Amino acid sequence: MKPPNTPVSLALVGCGAVSRLFYRPALRELRRHGLVELVAVVDPRPEARDPLARELGCAACASLDAALALRPALVAIATPPSLHRVQAEAALAAGCAVLCEKPLAATADDADAIVAAAARAARPLAAGHYKRFFPAHRALKTLIERQTFGPLLEATLVEGGKFAWPAATDSFFRREQTPGGVLLDIGVHVLDLLRWWLGEPADFTYADDALDGLEANARLDATFAGGARVRLRLSRDWRTENVYVFRFARAVVHCRVNAANQLEITLDDLPLTLAAELRHPLPARPAPPSRALETNPQAFLAQLVDVCAALHEHRPPFVPGAEGAAALRWVETCYARRTPLSLR
Amino acid sequence: MNTANLSTSWAVIGASGFIGLRTVEGLHGRDGVNLRPVVRSATSLAVLARRRLDWRIADPRDLPALTEALRGCPVCLHAALGDPVQIERMATIAYRACAAAGVRRLVWLSSASVHGQNPPPGTDESTPLHESHPLAYNNAKVRAERRLEQLARDGRVEVVRLRPGVVFGPRSRWITDAAADLRAGRAGWLGRGRGVCNSIHVDNLVHALRLAATVPAAAGEAFLVGDAETVAWRDFLLPIALHLGLDETAFAEPPPAPLVAERTPPLAALTRTRLYQRLGDAVPDRAKRLVKGLASAWPAPAPARDAWVLPRAPAGRLTLEQTLLQGCAWKLPHAKAARLLGYVPPVPFAAGLATSLEWLDFAEGRT
Ligand SMILES: NC(=O)c1ccc[n+]([C@@H]2O[C@H](COP(=O)([O-])OP(=O)(O)OC[C@H]3O[C@@H](n4cnc5c(N)ncnc54)[C@H](OP(=O)(O)O)[C@@H]3O)[C@@H](O)[C@H]2O)c1
Repeated sequence: MKPPNTPVSLALVGCGAVSRLFYRPALRELRRHGLVELVAVVDPRPEARDPLARELGCAACASLDAALALRPALVAIATPPSLHRVQAEAALAAGCAVLCEKPLAATADDADAIVAAAARAARPLAAGHYKRFFPAHRALKTLIERQTFGPLLEATLVEGGKFAWPAATDSFFRREQTPGGVLLDIGVHVLDLLRWWLGEPADFTYADDALDGLEANARLDATFAGGARVRLRLSRDWRTENVYVFRFARAVVHCRVNAANQLEITLDDLPLTLAAELRHPLPARPAPPSRALETNPQAFLAQLVDVCAALHEHRPPFVPGAEGAAALRWVETCYARRTPLSLR
Repeated sequence: MNTANLSTSWAVIGASGFIGLRTVEGLHGRDGVNLRPVVRSATSLAVLARRRLDWRIADPRDLPALTEALRGCPVCLHAALGDPVQIERMATIAYRACAAAGVRRLVWLSSASVHGQNPPPGTDESTPLHESHPLAYNNAKVRAERRLEQLARDGRVEVVRLRPGVVFGPRSRWITDAAADLRAGRAGWLGRGRGVCNSIHVDNLVHALRLAATVPAAAGEAFLVGDAETVAWRDFLLPIALHLGLDETAFAEPPPAPLVAERTPPLAALTRTRLYQRLGDAVPDRAKRLVKGLASAWPAPAPARDAWVLPRAPAGRLTLEQTLLQGCAWKLPHAKAARLLGYVPPVPFAAGLATSLEWLDFAEGRT
């Protein structure tokens, strides 16, 4: 991914936890490198937007329209999902490219509408599935596709822990305002990765523990075209091992959740496990150790760099909006096929 | 007072915790009673949100916020837990908030450890309490009970204190810690686990909470509550080991932890002084956090770093709490709860342990 030549002017919509914890440090770093120029942050709550605007040295706008009047080239949307469609459509109609946080929208229909709006406006639309930028996840894709260790036989993915995200209000837990629980929250990332690695599932079953509210535990069992069986267990109730385990014909690979540049590889013929930091490849001659590949924050930065480059190069982003819509469609199909997971 | 047959709301403070969550999920909608979770922050709602509930957000140490959260509830169940200083403060604030909000009955989750983890044979509710336990938690629980008794003299709120022992069940640390110790090869027991485990399955406790909230004769009383069976620690620990594919040999017999009182670091001691507590709300939260941070950062002995050691597996160990608990020779009676509350534990110990282990499989992603 080649960095763009001139700074991309950017407006950040939504000044909640994602913006504070992820976008703030990322945008500062990209600005330091002359990759972006931040024109505005947008939030109806002055107590949220003003400090962020001050820190980032840009305009503080109460509405998206006010920010669009400043003519940003790229709008990053980090608001509650129910607002994504209307905001993305407005930004695209104003001629901006859009990077929209996951889930792409509140419903798959809304997500499809955003994708259609991007096509009409002929502007890049990127889905914020930044975990595709993890070197470990890219390595897994290569291992699965090239069958380096033979075909993938099965995978067990467990992810989650006691919920700790600093939710500012309870809207995140109200069904009227947020259409899903742990599957929509952290699961949409995993479903996106599974689709990316393995394609559409041939078949799957889904169960969760929601009563008349939002699920805290979910389980998905799927089979994929090549015959690989996948078991996914998600929780925001209890600490899980937080690991994806891939059983290939000749090796087992452990990929720890959020350890962006690490893998643990156990070759069938070798009685040990290689716990490896992923680095730039070494040549087949004496050479000093090479540099590590991207960490988790660097993968988030890589996503922003990619969107900026896509703008400059007139190419689709690495994770196009349609991929975000497809992951969300899968989430909805899960909910439609839901069976109860008994409460313990 | 009998609120059980009215369409009414009971507040549960600390509703996201192990006991609080089980209480909400077990009692909500029963006998026309709705449970109102009261939690400190939206973050705590993640599991409670499986159901649509009329929750409130209030810190149990914030009197005005808590009062507001309790309004309209005739009963308040208190299942929050903090550090020893907070435990005492929470008791005072809970009582005052209940009084101000018009709550008629406060059910306070105390603990059997007000009698110590290893109570002398013959101990029951009539045994006088003292504040010289080696564990700071026990002393705080004693002080909290005393404070509540004192406050309740004004007659504005009926207070019922429940004293459960080792509360186990899904999400219980007694289950998860034991499993983690066993898996890590550091499980230990005392005298092959022959000591008495004063267990209570969480659903038995929830049953007791319901009775404590509704039975008129409970007002002003303290009750020990437990399982029906007399359980030895090996009855509790060995099935966990067997469930994990291990056996009795997984338990070492390490030397018991020395019975010395927990050391209170000087700065933590400061937070317990009357002056500091009287400053109470006048001290900005940030400053309090700073003092607490400094207190917890009080120098602990640095771990020895030596490259010249043979790699070895971790050894079995016993904490002070485990040493005290496993040295217990007395099954705390719940005769008073049986007599005054009509308490008969509905869940047999073995069934409770089996469902706890089923949950462990589920929580650890095996099922
Ligand atoms: N577990 C046992 O074996 C046992 C035995 C005897 C007695 N008890 C008593 O039963 C009660 C509940 O115990 P538990 O095991 O359910 O505890 P827990 O799982 O640790 O839950 C306690 C809850 O208290 C709330 N809380 C409020 N203020 C807090 C603070 N300052 N610091 C930490 N937490 C705070 C937290 O919920 P929010 O953050 O959502 O407010 C937390 O979920 C306690 O009073 C305990 O002493 C427990």
